[in-house]
Formats: sequence, structure tokens, C-alpha cells
Amino acid sequence: MSLSIVGNLMCLPFDDIEPGDPTDAHEYLIQSTANLLGSDRNWVPLIVEEVDVEQYQVVGNSFVYAVAAEAEAKEVWCIIIDPSPESIAMTKALAGELTPKTNLSTASRDEISAALDYLKSLPDKPLKGVNLASAIAGIDEAPGRQYWENLKPIPKLKCGITGGKKLDVLGTIFFLEPEPMPEVITDPAFLELFTATELKAMAKKRKLSGYSKLKKPALIEMLSQA
Amino acid sequence: MEYINEVKRALQALAPDAPEAAVEAIFSKPLLNALGFGDMEIAPGFKANNRPSRIADHAARKNVDDGDIFAHTRVNPFLCMEVKGRTETFAKGHKIYTKAAAQLKGYLLGSESRTAKWGILTNSIDIQLFRRHGKVVHPMTPLMPFDDVEKFIGTLKETIHSPKRALVAAIYNNKGGVGKTTTTINLAATLRVLGKKVLIIDFDPNQSDLGDSLNMPPIYGQMLGVLKGADIREVIKPYVFQHPKLKQPIGFDVVLADEEMVTTTNEVELRQQLRWNALQKAIKAVKNDYDYILIDAPPNWRIFSQLALFAADVVLIPARHDNLHSLQNAGTVITQYIPEIQAERGRYGEAGPMALPIFMNNANREAPAQIRLMHEAIAAIIKKGKANGYNLTPFFYPKKTPGKQNLQMIAIPHMAYVSKADFLHVPAAFNYKNVRDQYKLLIKEYFV
Repeated sequence: MSLSIVGNLMCLPFDDIEPGDPTDAHEYLIQSTANLLGSDRNWVPLIVEEVDVEQYQVVGNSFVYAVAAEAEAKEVWCIIIDPSPESIAMTKALAGELTPKTNLSTASRDEISAALDYLKSLPDKPLKGVNLASAIAGIDEAPGRQYWENLKPIPKLKCGITGGKKLDVLGTIFFLEPEPMPEVITDPAFLELFTATELKAMAKKRKLSGYSKLKKPALIEMLSQA
Repeated sequence: MEYINEVKRALQALAPDAPEAAVEAIFSKPLLNALGFGDMEIAPGFKANNRPSRIADHAARKNVDDGDIFAHTRVNPFLCMEVKGRTETFAKGHKIYTKAAAQLKGYLLGSESRTAKWGILTNSIDIQLFRRHGKVVHPMTPLMPFDDVEKFIGTLKETIHSPKRALVAAIYNNKGGVGKTTTTINLAATLRVLGKKVLIIDFDPNQSDLGDSLNMPPIYGQMLGVLKGADIREVIKPYVFQHPKLKQPIGFDVVLADEEMVTTTNEVELRQQLRWNALQKAIKAVKNDYDYILIDAPPNWRIFSQLALFAADVVLIPARHDNLHSLQNAGTVITQYIPEIQAERGRYGEAGPMALPIFMNNANREAPAQIRLMHEAIAAIIKKGKANGYNLTPFFYPKKTPGKQNLQMIAIPHMAYVSKADFLHVPAAFNYKNVRDQYKLLIKEYFV
């Protein structure tokens, strides 16, 4: 494939380019930048992928696209990127148009701290009233975090992040790639996160006896010792 | 629309293992109807010449007036179609497919189908369109599956009913000094003498020898614009040859090399500004004005050659039988460069370019020992091609058929007149009859 144009900087006809996610830049910025651009060359390139022959789709720098449209440019300088989903996500993140997500299954304390601090800094203050230090400690030290299949255990940690809006906003920066659940769990703190019914199912699976009438604390004690 | 539904119904009605007769009975007519031919414009079992094996499954042509009914007259077909059974594998390089394509080519070149412009090959799963231009039969589309019937029939119908007059041939070898420019000019001159209208394009701005051979200065600063969408007619210049013995001057049209493309613009900038079909698009506007458009491509595998091959229907590869590297490079062109362009053009729904047999330029009458050395070298190149999945034999020995060891090659002998004409800045084929006769032989072999 020596004829591949991936990686090239190319001057492409504006009409062949489809817009991607629209920019949220203010109309004033678009208009005034279009006045600056005039009919000159856009030195900051548009980032596109080739979707078909002579058809391109904006991946990044959609502000450049909006400005070129405003300036009625006939041609736009573009970089053609590799169209794999990974490259597209990375390009959008590099262009600052997509907030990259952190893998909470494996995230370190520093990464969790930076992510929560970022949310705290957002103008609409989605984590208002949350004590950052206890939220970081709560999530970082949460038992069995590597096995979580979703973020629902977080409110149970009682670290200030409640279900609903606060939890939803965490979903915008965290994703999970959980490890398979171990056969035998003995950590009492981790066992605490399960319901009594789930604990009984575990006991049954481990062929223990006399668990059916126990309450949760007793079940935990039984499972953690076995 | 009605016809397209008929095609869809026929496709559904056919069993997955439908034999040729079933495909022929159920599918052929709806397909030809959908492609714009009425029932009285279709002739089944068309005799392409008087050999009994040369009977095309179908031929078709639009009737020109009320008295003309092609289904009855069966003369001057416009299209020939060969149908195969569903179980017959159509895949590039596959024996069955190669044989079927050769069969269709035979029909298109038959004495009764001189007027045919198109050939269709299908097993009702895949379909391929071939174009006939003089003696050349080249694929117009890659082998394509019938997935989006509406869109597919639509484009096919449009292509078939607006045939282009010109055959676009690139004259190219990755190796220099094999006489590409000389070949281009003399082919143009001889084709002109044979009554054809010719445009030649000097697409080697590094050398711009072609213009010099005709005593025409290079142009400056217009070609980039043409490649970006300006009208190519602005840079077409007539070359006129006058001779006391000629009642009227004779000539052809030329697009000269643009010096700016190599002086102020560099290759990186060109790659940034031009897409692979830039030259193809530029030529499109004049395809109906000429019988032949010849592109003289530079001896390397860089942007000008790539654009030239992308624009071409066929590639004529000159080589020299006393130059091993020119033979090896000819092999590389066929096994590597042309497939690269074909793959890219496949994305546009196009096939091509197709390599024509290699011809030996400037061939001296060599000693038998020298000739033997050359055949040995070619055998090694063919073997290497085979290892890469290509059969190069027909490109070196076009007359060789199974069971017939004919190692004759297509050649233009060395002629002192040719270099003499170069110094006079005129095409040798215009000035000297014996040169013209040699090129006539070449043209009859390949084109007319």
C-alpha cells in the first residue's frame, strides 16, 4: 500500500470534507478568526480520516473546519490520520475535544486524585460539597476495585460521592476493565459490599453448612475465616 | 426500476449451485434489459466469427431506427456477454475465471464483432465489465459482487452508454534509456498517418525531452493548475509537420512538460496538492476528442509515473534485449507497480491499468549466444514472477500458447534514421517510410 495517504499533509477541497462533532467555540471567535484567515493557508491543519474515495471526515480541530466554512475556503490543509478507533480517540483527546477516560480498574492513587481534581475544577462544579481527600482515599482503597463491573459500589463506600449526578459525572472520566472475580473471597471489607443473598450463594458454592439462618455480619465472619 | 426488480427476482430465483444453462435462462435477459437493451435488441448465441467455438452467449445493441431490429439482423453488436454457472469460481488468477475472460476477449475480437465496445462476464454472483478499443480488450471494472443492485446497475448502465473515444496508454519503464520518448513520438506520428487523432502528454518535466524532439519549448507554471481542475485544453498545443511532398501539413496534439513542476515546486508539495486521480480527471475533458492519448512517463516510481499510470487504460513497456535491468524492471512494473495502482483504482470501482506485452526497442541483430543469454535472463524473471503469484510469460512471449514454443517477441529494430531524426527535431516516422513501417507493425500488433 505505497499509495496510502495516511499521515500526509494534504490540501483538500473543502466540499469533500464532512464535519465531525461540531465545535462549541463562540460565534465571535469563529467569525473573527475567519477574518484573519481570509483566503490564506490554514497553517494549523484540520485532522481528517478518509472515509471513502475523495471523502473525508473531520476527526479533530473542528474549530478549523468552522472557521474555513465561515471564510468560504475552497481548500483546506488537512492531516489524514489512520482511521482505527484508537487513533481517532487519541486524536480527539490530543485536539482537546474529548476528555480521555481513566481505567479505574487499574488506576493508581495519583491518577484517581488527578481525575477527581479535574472534575472538581469544572465550571459547573459537579462535585460540589465533596471532600476530595476522603473521596480519593475511599475509591483508591476500596476493596476489590479491580473486580468492579460498574461504578455502583462507589456510593456504598460512603466517601461523599452519592448515586445520581455525582456518580454519573464520574462515568464521564472513568471506565472499567475488571479482572475476573476470584473463586474464593476472604477479605471482610470486600465481602461487606455484597448482599446477604449473594454471600449465602458464595457459602453454598464453597460447600459450607449452617449459613442459611445467619445474618450478614455472621456470614462475613464465616466466609472470611473459611 | 421495473427492470432492476426483475434482476433482483432473477438473483433470488437462482439456486446457489445454478449451472450455466440456468443462469443463462433466468438471469441474462433481465440483466441486459436493466442495462438498457430491449427484447428486440438482444441476440442470444451470437456468432463472433465463423469458428464454431466463437459463439457468445449474448450480444446486444440499441436499434437505430424502426427498420433496424438487432434481434433479427444480428449485425454490428455493441456488447457481448459471456455467462457462466454459479459454481464456476470467479477470482483473479483463478483458472476458470482466466479462461472465461479469454473466451470473452475472443468474442470481442471476432470478425463479426468489430463494432463491439463492451464485454460483460458474469456468473450472476460476480460481474466484470471489459472494454474493447481496436485490438485492445481491457478490464473496465474489477470483478464485483452484486450486492447493491440499484447502484451497481445504474453506474454500469451509465458507463456502457457513454463510451469514450480515446484509449489512454502510458509508455513506462522504471528503467531509463529504453526509448520511451522516441516510442511515444513515433507511435503518435504513425497513428496519425493511419488516420487516428492523437494527443501526447510529456509527463516527465525532469527531462522534457519530448518537447525538444519536436522543437517545442516547455511550458511554465500551467500544469499544476490543470492537475487541480483547470481545463487541459489551455495547455494543448498542435504539432504540425510540413513536408514539400505533403499536400497538407500533418500532426498531432501535445501537452508539453511543465518546467515549474520541478524547478519551483518539489515532489513533497505536489503530493500535498494532488490526489492520485489528478491527471485522470484532467484528461477526462478531452477523452472524446482523440482516438489515442499517449503519456510519456518518467523512468522512476514517483509521483509523475504514479499519476500517469493511474490515468492510463493500458501500459506499454519498452525494454531493450541487450539491457538486463530494463527487462528486470519491466517485470517489476507488472508484478509490483501496476498492482499497486490497480488496488487504489479498485476503490474507485475501476480496473486498470493493464500491462501490454513488453516490446524490445532498438533491437540489434544479435549473435545467437547473446540471444540465448537474454532468453535465460527472461526465464529467471518469469520464475521470480511466478514465486510472487504472477504469470509473466504472456508479457514476454505473447505468441507462446500451450503446446507451442514460440519465443518471438515484439520488437522495433535498431534504425540509424531514428537517431538522425532526433537531431533534426522531427518524428522519424513522419520523415522516413521504413521507420513508419516498423511502427505500423507495432501498432497492428497492439492497437489497430
